[in-house]
Amino acid sequence: MGKSFFKTHVVTLLAALLLCSITGAANAEDELDCLLCHKYRGLSRIDENGKFRLFYINEALFKEGPHSRVKCADCHQDIKKIPHDPAKKVDCTSECHLIEPSGQKNFSHQSVANLLAKSVHGKLNADGSPKKDEQDYPGCKDCHEEPLYRPLSFFKGRTNGVSERGLARCQTCHRTGDFAESFYKHVTSRLRKMRDPKEIVGICAKCHGDKAFQQRHKLDDVVTSYKETFHYKALRFGSQETPDCTDCHVVKGEGVHFIESKNSPTSATNIKNIPTTCRTSECHEKAGANLASFQVHVTYDKHKYPMQYYMLVFFTWLTAGVLYFFLALIFLELLRRLFPNFSFVKSKDGDHPSSE
Amino acid sequence: MAMPKYKKICERNGKRYFFRFSLHQRLQHVVVFSTVIVLSLTGFPLKYHDKAWAEPLLNFMGGIKVAPVLHHIAGSILLGLFVYHTIYWVYLFYSRRVLPLKKKGHLTFRNVGIAFLTQPMIPSKKDFFDLIDMFKYLLYFTNRPPRYDSMSWKEKFDYYAPYWGIPVLGPAGFFLWWRDEFSQYVPGVVLNALYIMHTDEALLAALFIFFVHWYNVHYAPEKFPLGTVFITGYLSEDDMIHEHYAEYVKVMTEQGLQDEIKPQHP
Repeated sequence: MGKSFFKTHVVTLLAALLLCSITGAANAEDELDCLLCHKYRGLSRIDENGKFRLFYINEALFKEGPHSRVKCADCHQDIKKIPHDPAKKVDCTSECHLIEPSGQKNFSHQSVANLLAKSVHGKLNADGSPKKDEQDYPGCKDCHEEPLYRPLSFFKGRTNGVSERGLARCQTCHRTGDFAESFYKHVTSRLRKMRDPKEIVGICAKCHGDKAFQQRHKLDDVVTSYKETFHYKALRFGSQETPDCTDCHVVKGEGVHFIESKNSPTSATNIKNIPTTCRTSECHEKAGANLASFQVHVTYDKHKYPMQYYMLVFFTWLTAGVLYFFLALIFLELLRRLFPNFSFVKSKDGDHPSSE
Repeated sequence: MAMPKYKKICERNGKRYFFRFSLHQRLQHVVVFSTVIVLSLTGFPLKYHDKAWAEPLLNFMGGIKVAPVLHHIAGSILLGLFVYHTIYWVYLFYSRRVLPLKKKGHLTFRNVGIAFLTQPMIPSKKDFFDLIDMFKYLLYFTNRPPRYDSMSWKEKFDYYAPYWGIPVLGPAGFFLWWRDEFSQYVPGVVLNALYIMHTDEALLAALFIFFVHWYNVHYAPEKFPLGTVFITGYLSEDDMIHEHYAEYVKVMTEQGLQDEIKPQHP
């Protein structure tokens, strides 16, 4: 009896200690103790626009994410006290308290934002005037859905494949804090595609696959046409070797945010640059410059792609003609078997089958 | 090329069987259907990548890394067979038709042309009239089914379908496979055309085989579940009467069995 009483208490004590240590670790970047409230899964409200908003922060996801070393208040700079008023939208270009090691300055995504603004996806024209349908042009969070913004999609949380042995080498010198681990993750996560290529296609398709959007901007349905190519089909079945949108639409060596219109002379998809784009070292290295005239985004439009259109018409009619002819024949033949000897015309020449 | 001699008629358990296909021909058929099955199973999941069956089927065939390799191997074999078949056919035509003409000293363009056109597999005037007879029969204007020779128009169509299909599909597939090397000589837009040719002709071929050819040899009531001529090379007397009555009468007469010729039945 006494023994089991002791046992129960020790277990409870250990459990309590364990809980404390977890909470303690999680609060390392949480100086305002935001998780005090935001750890509750049901924390939500209906906003002024009638939209359901979920404010739950999944701690495990946050710790795995790229922003795990950033303090909550670094991004949510308008929050100074708790409880707080409705927070403003986060501006990704604001400076946070992380020091960028190469320049010893506070870190900001401003350089990425500059690149995006220069690209075909920037919201402003070269003269500074807003583009038509400005709201259609993407901001950071239109493409970057960090799992944190969708806290319930925990299945998306993927680790960066930390090699303990590799990390141990870093930690020989970089002993303090979790610097080695986060730096290691920072580098290794950039050595491969950050996202599944299918996810990239899905992100672009959010806008480019939308019929109304295509009409507003006079764009072809590039998503459907891309999905007709072997490039997509291989990705679709799990290959990582064929290109997604960003592989062809970004000049090699350029930041992925700098996608230009094909009319820009420096664009990867400008008619003069396509041979180079196709023949980068990872792709059609051995191909001739001729390969560039391959049409990737074929829409079977009669005027834009007449060859493909008429070939499609030819094969459609050929297939339909052959199959309907033979299917009709099979149908008649099966029907004939029901009345094998019937005929509207009586044979006069004694050529009746059974007369032979 | 020494060909084994086949008896025109052979008897098993008191039933007559009529010679149709030599072992050599039957083996070519085995190569055709095995490669076409592999090509379809590894190709169509890509054409119909958005269908629910596509992924499980492709994974069954080895996934995106292995399936294309199988596709290339099977395609190469089929294309090789096409070349072999064509060379073999030219050889037969030369040795059986042209050489005798040469020996007799009748070698003229006209005579070679006639020799070419009178081969059993070449579409003829009789095929046209057989087709009309068949429609008459199917639409109840006569109760006399058409009397086909050794090769009916349907079989000729069945033969020329792949014989047109392989040169459309095969080289297209080959150039799509070796696109980088190919693009040294030809503009990339040709690949667009080859791509349509390859997949659309493949669909036609597969649908034709599935519905029409398989009806003729699998689904038709007297064949179900499987006609055996592709294995044994011999066709039963009943099927011979049903499918090749003119040839049946000819062979029976040649073999001195004219008294035992059975009447045609539908």
